[in-house]
Amino acid sequence: MNIVKAWIRSFAPANRKEASDSIVDNLLLHWFPNKVFRRSYAFSYSFWLGTIAMSLFVIMAVTGVILMFLYIPSVERAYWTMKDIDYVVSYGWLLRGVHRMAAHFMVAVVFFHLVRTFYTAAYRSSPKMVRADRRVNWIIGNALLILTLALSYTGYLLPWDQLAYWALIIGANVAQSTPVIGDTIKELLIGGTEIGQSALLRFYILHCIALPLLLTVGFVFHMWRIRKDGGLACVDSAVEGSGEITTEPASDKSYLLLGAPAETRYTVTTSAFLHPKNFIQGNPHVVKRVLWVFTGTLALTVLFACLLKMPLEAPANPAVAPNPAKAPWYFLWLQELIADTTVRIGSLTLNGGFIGGVLIPTVCVLALAAWPYLDRSPPQAIGVWFHRSRWLQNAVFTLVVLAILALIYVAAFLRGPNWILYPPGVPWPLEPPIL
Amino acid sequence: MHENPSSDTQISRRSFLRRGGLAAVFVALVGEGYAMLRSLVPNVLYERPKQVKVGRPQDFEEGGTFLEDYNLFVFKEKGAIYTISSVCTHLGCNVKLHLLPKPRTVELGGKRVSESFEFACPCHGSLFHSDGSVLKGPAPKALPRFHVALSPKDGQLVVDTGRQVDTEFRLTLSA
Repeated sequence: MNIVKAWIRSFAPANRKEASDSIVDNLLLHWFPNKVFRRSYAFSYSFWLGTIAMSLFVIMAVTGVILMFLYIPSVERAYWTMKDIDYVVSYGWLLRGVHRMAAHFMVAVVFFHLVRTFYTAAYRSSPKMVRADRRVNWIIGNALLILTLALSYTGYLLPWDQLAYWALIIGANVAQSTPVIGDTIKELLIGGTEIGQSALLRFYILHCIALPLLLTVGFVFHMWRIRKDGGLACVDSAVEGSGEITTEPASDKSYLLLGAPAETRYTVTTSAFLHPKNFIQGNPHVVKRVLWVFTGTLALTVLFACLLKMPLEAPANPAVAPNPAKAPWYFLWLQELIADTTVRIGSLTLNGGFIGGVLIPTVCVLALAAWPYLDRSPPQAIGVWFHRSRWLQNAVFTLVVLAILALIYVAAFLRGPNWILYPPGVPWPLEPPIL
Repeated sequence: MHENPSSDTQISRRSFLRRGGLAAVFVALVGEGYAMLRSLVPNVLYERPKQVKVGRPQDFEEGGTFLEDYNLFVFKEKGAIYTISSVCTHLGCNVKLHLLPKPRTVELGGKRVSESFEFACPCHGSLFHSDGSVLKGPAPKALPRFHVALSPKDGQLVVDTGRQVDTEFRLTLSA
């Protein structure tokens, strides 16, 4: 009994001292801060999007390892192992469904996390915060979003169905459309000049090893930076707005007093922000929240995996592209851009694959990464939703997000066979005769 | 005469060895990195040959035939053979040949001709004229045409997908 107790003791602290000690004593709890600013904990401030994204990644890491035992990365067999997973393996459909659903959710949640961080100006630090610079963490976050998208892309290539094959063709040719280095990048990505076994193997290894490893390292770095930056940005806003107060000495703090007689009554003058009522214990409160958020995320993912149909298109057919051939929702805005941005200036033609597929996304990412360095709003805006001083940049950001959503809408609902634009409600015609 | 070892032009033995050691480590790491990256660029491609035999000319019908194994249209017109690739020049999807409801008159290569079909790409909506030139959409250039010859051995058509030719190219069959 004592042996068990010794192992689980730190998870059930009896008092504040044990709770604080547990953070230091337990490797798993060492992840969490001892004291957490109460507002950081509020759903209404952060919507817990980071915790949800982390939960989704853990769900995918676990289901992904099981799926690796069931899937064979071979162009002849990959598709049929997918069929086995869906129809033959016990609960295979559930594993694949949960993995797939979690992937879709993760793209959305990581994106919303970025949107939340932008609207709360949480990508900057108040000058009052010592040695803090959230701009670094913002850039790590941008990289994590790109890694999430790369994991999604490499993930849906693996079934080697029509969606996978033509996404790979288009992806490889977008890379190739880059001037000067395009051919080299394409060859390096697909291991040759044609889409085949070496391409599948490369994307399999990227999906199962390289990208998850990078994402894990980036995620740990992201968490560590949150601690170094003094917590969530709402801490900065509290510090900015905090005056001094004079109170009784706090019962859980030590004060060094030299030469004071034992019976002296004294008061402490401190920042109002530091008042103990503003803080909660990391253990058990934050630990519990993480566990609840994980459980809830898992429950929702399983529910949606059971409710929604899991698509698997026809086996990859190099002779016939689906008509219309559409990317998953989170890439549709890029597909729409790629289709619209071929530029002809005199005899010079720039392929839309490069403009819409490489140039515009690169500019977007660079602008995003540089934004906190250009944001000139006052420190009072940090950690506050929609601060008045940032109305213009919030409006610009909102317009870009809406433009992306509009492009996704057009590509998803208005593009018919041969990528022709059909207004809502107009039925798509039967295809013209094909030779 | 004794020189001061700490003068600007001289470095100590310890410093020299340290710099040399660091340089060696740097060279070794860069070399290893290059070797790993370079190993991922294949030296031998186990891919299909560029030259393919597609059958005897008399087996092709007058007009266009799509060879799905090679992503290639072979056209036979008035005793002459030419090919048009079905790989879209935009981002590589497979274009389809669509018969037009009725023939239309267009200007192709400076000549007014009547065309009865066009090529359409399902991925991003590029359209090509019957000669492969761009009609509309994001495709930056015309569908490529490949060199065709007759094999002296068995009389089959040999298409060289590694060798592009211009729109004038025809393989004239002797009757």
